[in-house]
Amino acid sequence: MSQSRRDFLARSVQLGVLLGAGAPLLQACGGSDDKRSQISSTIADGLPPEKGPLRIINYADYVNLEVIADFEAKYGVKVEISTIDTDTEATTKLASGSIKADVHHSMSGTSIGNLIAGGLIQPLNKSYIPNFVNVIETFKDPWYDPGAKFSVPYTFFGTGIGYRTDRIDPALVESQGWDAIWNATDFKGQVSVLDDEREAFTMAMLRKGITDVNTTDQKIIDQARTDVSELIDLVNVKVNIEGYKDIPEGTTSIAQTWSADLIAGAAGYLPEGVTDEVLGFWHPPAGEYVVTNDSMGLLANAENPVLAHLYLNYLLDNEVAEKNFSSVGYLPAIAKLDADFVIAAGYVPEHLRNCVPTAEEIAKAIYLEPLGAEGDAKYETAWAKFTAGG
Amino acid sequence: MFAVPGVGWLIAFFVVSVYAVMAVAFGGVDPFLKTSIPAWNPLQWDFTTMGNVIHEVFNGYLREVFVRTFVFVALSLAGCVAIGYPVAYYAARKAGRHKGLLLAALVLPFWISYLMRMLAWTNLLQPDGLVNQVLGWFSLPDNRNWLDGDWYTVVIGLIYGYVPFFILPLYSTLERLDGRLIEAGRDLGASARQTFLRVTLPLSVPGLMAASVITVLPMFGDYYTNSYLTSGSPRTEMVGNQIENYLRNTGQPQTGASLVLILMAMLFVLMVYYMVTTIRQQRAAER
Amino acid sequence: MNPFRRRHGKAPVLAMVTWVYVLWSLLPVLIAVRISLNNGRSRSSFQPMSFRWYWGDSTASLLHDDSMRVALFNTLELAGLCMLIATPIGVAMAIGLQRWRGRTSNAANGLMLVPIVTPEIVFGVALFLVFTQLYTGFPDGLTRQLLGHVTFTISFVVVIVRGRLAAIGTQYEEAARDLGASRLQAIRLVLLPLLSPAIFASVMVVFATSVDDFVISSFLSTGASTETVPIKIYSGARAGSTPALNALATVMLLLTLAAVAIATVVLKSIQRRGGEDPGPTGGLAGLSG
Repeated sequence: MSQSRRDFLARSVQLGVLLGAGAPLLQACGGSDDKRSQISSTIADGLPPEKGPLRIINYADYVNLEVIADFEAKYGVKVEISTIDTDTEATTKLASGSIKADVHHSMSGTSIGNLIAGGLIQPLNKSYIPNFVNVIETFKDPWYDPGAKFSVPYTFFGTGIGYRTDRIDPALVESQGWDAIWNATDFKGQVSVLDDEREAFTMAMLRKGITDVNTTDQKIIDQARTDVSELIDLVNVKVNIEGYKDIPEGTTSIAQTWSADLIAGAAGYLPEGVTDEVLGFWHPPAGEYVVTNDSMGLLANAENPVLAHLYLNYLLDNEVAEKNFSSVGYLPAIAKLDADFVIAAGYVPEHLRNCVPTAEEIAKAIYLEPLGAEGDAKYETAWAKFTAGG
Repeated sequence: MFAVPGVGWLIAFFVVSVYAVMAVAFGGVDPFLKTSIPAWNPLQWDFTTMGNVIHEVFNGYLREVFVRTFVFVALSLAGCVAIGYPVAYYAARKAGRHKGLLLAALVLPFWISYLMRMLAWTNLLQPDGLVNQVLGWFSLPDNRNWLDGDWYTVVIGLIYGYVPFFILPLYSTLERLDGRLIEAGRDLGASARQTFLRVTLPLSVPGLMAASVITVLPMFGDYYTNSYLTSGSPRTEMVGNQIENYLRNTGQPQTGASLVLILMAMLFVLMVYYMVTTIRQQRAAER
Repeated sequence: MNPFRRRHGKAPVLAMVTWVYVLWSLLPVLIAVRISLNNGRSRSSFQPMSFRWYWGDSTASLLHDDSMRVALFNTLELAGLCMLIATPIGVAMAIGLQRWRGRTSNAANGLMLVPIVTPEIVFGVALFLVFTQLYTGFPDGLTRQLLGHVTFTISFVVVIVRGRLAAIGTQYEEAARDLGASRLQAIRLVLLPLLSPAIFASVMVVFATSVDDFVISSFLSTGASTETVPIKIYSGARAGSTPALNALATVMLLLTLAAVAIATVVLKSIQRRGGEDPGPTGGLAGLSG
């Protein structure tokens, strides 16, 4: 009896291993090469919208739920949102097939290239997106997606320093720039940097006057890592993207943030009795200012491609974009919503005018470009070292 | 035979899964999509990544993470023992009338979601939360930000989270201790303290070790307690965080998988110890 | 009367330490429940009570926030299915292992114990990799999570049931066989009823373990529709969360406690019918193994 049992177990293990060996054979015969190449054809014109539900991948709190509800009502469909924490998490999940969706709501400039090359997003059929004319000129032909074939811009924002004006003198921040973070030793435990390996190290490079932030020079990367690591002991630095609520709530006094974090914070996260006067923002001058934007795209294996197109079109509508902005705080790349408009409409307080990148700043902006597998690995490893404690 | 479905399931979903970790750790990666290309055939295994990771663990930046993890776990275990042993002892031997109620109270944390207990702690540890308020009553400094990324918050969190898992097995052992041996010690003239040190404590050592091992093993892989309590501080990063980071947020899944294998190797001795003692106990009970 | 009884009786210091521990252990949870009744957004201080976060608030309350309800349903569905699948497999495995003789039985026993001693992150990573690289025929997150949960909980069932099996011994089954029952009948009609307290206890443990699981569910989740309550609580720490999270946790807590209460009552009645009076600690002793 035990003999046959042992055989059975042994055979099961063999079977398991065989299965393992068989799988890649299947993959090799099958479509793995197709998976890796860029998709070149769009869906046909004039198709009717599907029944849904429309599935979206997005960051948390990154779209106004009322806007979603309005879309649901207008087209009689349901919308489901899956949240991701970081851009790379989204790419990894899409590539491994562990997430299924129609719309990628927040592709960054660095990942779009990979998503396109890897065949994870498909080109858009602009006949479904007449509202594209509302987009800011520069973003109609962005550097990461020439001709905007695969994406429409969602929001844009710059990277700078967000801080509490009631704790830190704005004049100090204006004069010190990035050094203000390193000098914030009075605020130990209330300082944070962005949870993004490129953003944090870029800040260190800009602080030292290096403007080629897409370098893959290991020495520069290591120096950036050392500089950022100093913050661990200097100010007990945190790593997160919650500045938009931590600064208004007061748990963070000064942080590397995106410009929109301050707008969003002013709009929705101030505790009772606290005015938006306490929020301040600083950014480097044009030419050293990193202006990033998130884009929306249509995923390759979308089950509701027409509906997805309609959704993208919906968000590019001027009124809808304005409504979205009023809750999210991140500026849509819509030409009508420039600084004067949003301040006059009361969405942005006058003293936070510098949170709206000007045309000049956009034109001269520095971009975080994708660096290829090896280059990315250098930054990733440096980041892992930093988060490990130095 | 009856055990076949279970064994089959565990092989299919556990053994093969662990094999998959090895295949990924020793495999390659797609240059565009940064996803893993696992190497299923052992003859194709590529050990360079594993070699790098081992190097980093013993000589590089990962050493700090591993050391910190060990320290956190050791401190938390000490806390669990300091708090848990007296409680288990009381419940097992001294509780008297209230034993049922006490036992219910000790078992209750099992039924409360771990994350809810941590959620409760984050509520308390907010700068304007109750902990600071209570400190204020005693004129102690009450403006500390507990969720700052300090090691003591993480250690307290780990202790709070894991001590129920420590107490119950220990309680079982202490309850089964032969009371006559303890009474014999007293009868022979030893004081309560001497009896405890010379009789009870040594008798409880196997149970203590088992409870420690069963508490410590999951702690080593914990990444959500510290992350939840410190909103991202590099100062409290444990091995689990690095593993999660490598697998979720980077294009280097082989590194993450390698770290998992290294973690398992380090815990191997503890795992085997627990398994062997449990099997022996089962055999003894069934005789 | 033992003349020493007065001397080594009550141990007041130990008692105090114990009850302080109990308080420390449970009070934060009560506070979290109280905070779920806040009428404002504060998660740290007590505000006047209301049910705003349960059903009052039109976008963020439990009733209205779809993602919260989805998480709740997912958690309960997973736990329920896991109970139904893991328990029979585990009971069968316990019975089978007890009778397994020979050298391979050690391997099987070891295999059964390894999941208990494996850190969850290893489980999570291994399952994630195997589902994305090998068993790609299971694209649905909930299916993956269910398979993962079952894998994780089978061993608990086995350990609990085996303890009881050892206590029962083989005499009842042998008596049934002597009276003419077949092997299967002996097990079905004699052994299983005797095992029922342990089976019940293990069902509860599977439920609690599945409901509480974070790491495996998180690694195997494929999107918002496959989030569970622990995942929701964890991610709520990142985004701007409200006491609705506390409300979600409270609802989960109440459901679990209700399930435990029902199970304990049923357990007690089974044991009483079986002629044993377990006392106040009996049911719970079955759980601590």
